[in-house]
Amino acid sequence: MIRHLFKLIWNRKKSNFLLITEIFICFLVLFGVLSLVVYNVRNYTKPLGFEHENVWLLTMRPSTDSSALNHQNLEQVLQRLHAFPEIEHVSLSSSNAPFAFSQMNNNLSYGNVKDLMADFYEVEDDYDEVMQLQVREGRWFAPQDNASHHEPIVINKALQQQLFGEEDALGKVIPVNDSTNYQVVGITDYFRAGSEFAAEGPAFFTRINLQKNPNSFWNEVLIRVKPGTGIDFEEKMVKQLSAIGKDWAMEVSTLEKMRQNKAKLTLVPMIALGLVCAFLILNVALGLFGVLWYNINSRHGEIGLRRALGAASGQIYRQFIGEVLVLATLGLLLGVVFAVQLPLLQVFEIESVVYTIAIVGAVAIIYLLTVICAFYPSRQAAAIHPAVALHEE
Amino acid sequence: MITLKNIEKVYQTKSIETVALHNVNLEIPKGEFVSIMGPSGCGKSTLLNIMGLLDEPTNGLVEIDGTPISNYRDKQLARLRNQKLGFVFQSYHLINDLSVLDNVELPLLYRSGTSASETRRLALTALEKVGLSARTKHFPSQLSGGQRQRVAIARALIGQPEIILADEPTGNLDSVMGEEIMNILLNLNRIDGTTIVMVTHDENMAHKTGRLIRFFDGQQVSDAKTATYNFQQV
Ligand SMILES: Nc1ncnc2c1ncn2[C@@H]1O[C@H](COP(=O)(O)OP(=O)(O)O)[C@@H](O)[C@H]1O
Ligand SMILES: [Mg+2]
Repeated sequence: MIRHLFKLIWNRKKSNFLLITEIFICFLVLFGVLSLVVYNVRNYTKPLGFEHENVWLLTMRPSTDSSALNHQNLEQVLQRLHAFPEIEHVSLSSSNAPFAFSQMNNNLSYGNVKDLMADFYEVEDDYDEVMQLQVREGRWFAPQDNASHHEPIVINKALQQQLFGEEDALGKVIPVNDSTNYQVVGITDYFRAGSEFAAEGPAFFTRINLQKNPNSFWNEVLIRVKPGTGIDFEEKMVKQLSAIGKDWAMEVSTLEKMRQNKAKLTLVPMIALGLVCAFLILNVALGLFGVLWYNINSRHGEIGLRRALGAASGQIYRQFIGEVLVLATLGLLLGVVFAVQLPLLQVFEIESVVYTIAIVGAVAIIYLLTVICAFYPSRQAAAIHPAVALHEE
Repeated sequence: MITLKNIEKVYQTKSIETVALHNVNLEIPKGEFVSIMGPSGCGKSTLLNIMGLLDEPTNGLVEIDGTPISNYRDKQLARLRNQKLGFVFQSYHLINDLSVLDNVELPLLYRSGTSASETRRLALTALEKVGLSARTKHFPSQLSGGQRQRVAIARALIGQPEIILADEPTGNLDSVMGEEIMNILLNLNRIDGTTIVMVTHDENMAHKTGRLIRFFDGQQVSDAKTATYNFQQV
């Protein structure tokens, strides 16, 4: 019977060509959208490497250009922050705090690896407490680093693997420029701060030493507050800090709010794409249904004949469902040949498993779709009375 | 053997009721060549559909080889059609997207236990019988009407049915082609002993068969052995 179906479809290749093309295109679109969804969902389920609950971000914009004065005020602000009983930990941060819409990166080279692009975060010694970071090898920054010859850095797992591979990274010195070298003092567990939906990229932390840089200024402070601390305290805090930095603009946001904003950046286009895709699939489904309906209605004579020759009603039903499955299989085979090129050629740096899941998912959805579309017309075909079908011609 | 007892067929469409067959009693013994004549619309096709188990009578009994089939289910009827019956239609009913050979093989597709090579061999034998061995790879659109009907006959006989039901098999053909088809059917009946029931409008052809049944308005009006011209009024 399968051979018979292939023969029928082959001999009708002209009229089936459009249907196969439609299924093929539908598969490719579905595959693309599913790859994106699977990629994002897989990233989402991986750990961030820090705890963002109860962390606030204070942003300050000084009103004068006098860096010495600003630095002085900044030290006072930090002292004041430490004094609040509601605040547990405080750390200055470069502008790329977790979930912020800003990035800083630098190229690192070591051994055979040249110019590996890595995110870097400037932070203070208390940052690991503020963000509840886990260091799994070596140590986090500490006052002893004041005396160190090289500039200490803590790197994340991804950077360790990409820069050092199997080698032990601790203690390694990475030249940066003529006067500066980095030295790895610690390696964190998983750490990715850009977005919940982003993959973990190589990243490292450098240490802010306020005393050593009397003219420098950092305008972001990460603050871990006691659980349950709310808006009342925020107002009180900003009021008292404003007394120190005269005319400074101060703004407080929670990392939770920033996380939500960052998530929207991924979710909104993903949902929009999903809707477009759903609309497309609905269209294809309606088209498919129409074509099948038309095909089957124009084949009443054949149906009557097959019944006369000994086909039971169920065999007619199975024949039509079978034909649609063969058509879908042809379209899908074509689609899969294209789709597997992405993991084979490594077009994007995405794990192959993402594509595999997307291919399997898209194949399953298309089969389901075609069977659903074929179900009703095929049942109609099976219900046609043989004498009536033969009479019509 | 087909036996029809008190067959009544009524078509109910909207408010109109058509009595297509009324009180038909018939027995078609094994090996007979029966022709059925009658004006258009008198119920000949309806009768053949009922004999061919393609349609159910409104009232009455159909027996195949002495067994009533009134409570047979769709699957059992399909199997009976496949094993015992062959059909030939006025409009051939070939599948245009299948080659001659594939068209002829169709009945065996619905009969389990025949291998692909055996099916092929039987199809070629059937095509040889109707004189179309040279056209196996052709498609129906590439054949003349007479050739198409010969393909249809090959298809009807590939399954070696006991009975062939032919509804105006020469109705679309000129007299020369009609003659060819008639000769094939006659040979099938004489040599292979196949029972044939044929609807025709052609008196000459009807008289070549062994028995002629005339219909009018859904009823048998005469039934006679043609050889003896012994008309008997019903
Ligand atoms: N499916 C049907 N529905 C309604 N009426 C039908 C149907 N088939 C046949 N008839 C009617 O039954 C009568 C007999 O038809 P038919 O058996 O086709 O006649 P014949 O083959 O002798 O020309 C006709 O009046 C025809 O209109
Ligand atoms: Mg008729």
